[in-house]
Amino acid sequence: MEDDILSYSLADFQYNDNPDVLAPPEDFEKWINNPRISASFSFFEQQLLTAPKASTEILSNIDHKKRKVINLTSYNYLGLSSHPEVIQAVIEGVKKYGLSASGAPLLSGTYDLHVKFARMLADFKQKEDCILYSSGLGGNYGAIQGILRKNDYFVLDEKCHKSLVDGGLLSGARMLFFEHNNIRSLGMMLEKAKGKRTLVAVEGVYSMDGDLVKLPEIVKVCESYNARIYIDEAHSTLMFGENGRGVAEHFGLEEKMGVSFGTLSKSFGGVGGFVCSNAKIIRYLKCYSSPFNFSCAPSPPVVAGLIKALEVATRDSNLRDKLWKNVKYFKKQLLDLNLDLGGTESQVIPIIIGPSGEKLFKMAAEVQKRGLFLQPVDFPAVPANARRFRISVSSQLTREEIDQACNIIEDVIAKGLKK
Amino acid sequence: MDKAKIIEVIKKHILENLEDLKEEDIDPKKSMKDYGANSLDIIEVVSCSMRELNIKIPRSELTDIQNIDQLADKFLQYV
Repeated sequence: MEDDILSYSLADFQYNDNPDVLAPPEDFEKWINNPRISASFSFFEQQLLTAPKASTEILSNIDHKKRKVINLTSYNYLGLSSHPEVIQAVIEGVKKYGLSASGAPLLSGTYDLHVKFARMLADFKQKEDCILYSSGLGGNYGAIQGILRKNDYFVLDEKCHKSLVDGGLLSGARMLFFEHNNIRSLGMMLEKAKGKRTLVAVEGVYSMDGDLVKLPEIVKVCESYNARIYIDEAHSTLMFGENGRGVAEHFGLEEKMGVSFGTLSKSFGGVGGFVCSNAKIIRYLKCYSSPFNFSCAPSPPVVAGLIKALEVATRDSNLRDKLWKNVKYFKKQLLDLNLDLGGTESQVIPIIIGPSGEKLFKMAAEVQKRGLFLQPVDFPAVPANARRFRISVSSQLTREEIDQACNIIEDVIAKGLKK
Repeated sequence: MDKAKIIEVIKKHILENLEDLKEEDIDPKKSMKDYGANSLDIIEVVSCSMRELNIKIPRSELTDIQNIDQLADKFLQYV
């Protein structure tokens, strides 16, 4: 391993046969303590010192200095995390309800705010009912674990989020992955699942590539096999569709979605997850979805802020319009630099660097020192030959901030790739 | 160790991880996916096989492998 230490990644240490159950694999320590590997890990868990606005401040793990940065990494797509009306609602919420729900929903954790917000979300997504979760990850795996059983089939796009994969594992259902957005591959998997209760999971916007689900084609093939669709709209709710309801609205296929999932930590600017579907399955989930009934309910002041966030984001299209204006402008500047942006169709814009992790992390350190908070994404989160940076465009970015960011990207990344 | 033995080890772990499959059904020129393996099954088969063969190959070097035969060739370079 000494000779090719940089070829190893987190994908290589999942399996652990160390005789001591409380010790990591024997070569993991050697790998992670190597100075070159530690340097790449320094990009994790960097501290933000203020709100995740377009311009923020971090305590850099690279040189341990405080640094003002243009923020291209936070998921605060619409700026709602720090919107004045949202903050005011949170303050009023905490004064009235305190910090915690102080109980699981079934016993003492359900507040009037939870009921109101769940109803608002169900109406917004045009579904009969909605269940709230304290985390987005918990929502996805809780819903899958609550819906599927051992003899069922769970068919997932291979790029689906870990929370969906974990939900499938927990449910005991047979899991089949189809090639990303490949309808023929999906058909082959559905053929294997023929005659069984089958749920197909897709994402509205895929989080590492920013491309959209090929929903019209997927709906068609799922209907022919009588498979139901679960759509994860984590990166698309409040942004896509004429009314911001997501990619299913964008394609005019909302009524074909059996389940619509969303997170509350991205465009909503809070934390949590929600699942909208027919009233009967939501009722059932409330009895069998562990992250709902065995976890403390979402914090009431956070829910108060989320109610306001939903109101602000849907009373007009201002924030959405600003976001898409920024996406269009930013993308054009990046394409003018001849950068490989993959197949992005959304506010998630990858800049694909290629197979060299060393090059990626060298550039990552340099862009940060120049004043950009732009995180690298390495294998196994993305393919080994397509390591990348991932930009999360926000409606809050000004034209000047985008121009400044593009100057740094040109100097460090575009010129670095030509060397 | 020769390639035939390596293929035998890989086949053993495929059979342990996939249901309704017999050893004589496994053609090394095919991918594990052709036998219904999902990506989690493949990780398990590869990890268990490497452990048994006492080799360690970075996953990043396995991403282009298309079938069992190619996997055995890669393992052979390391045993």
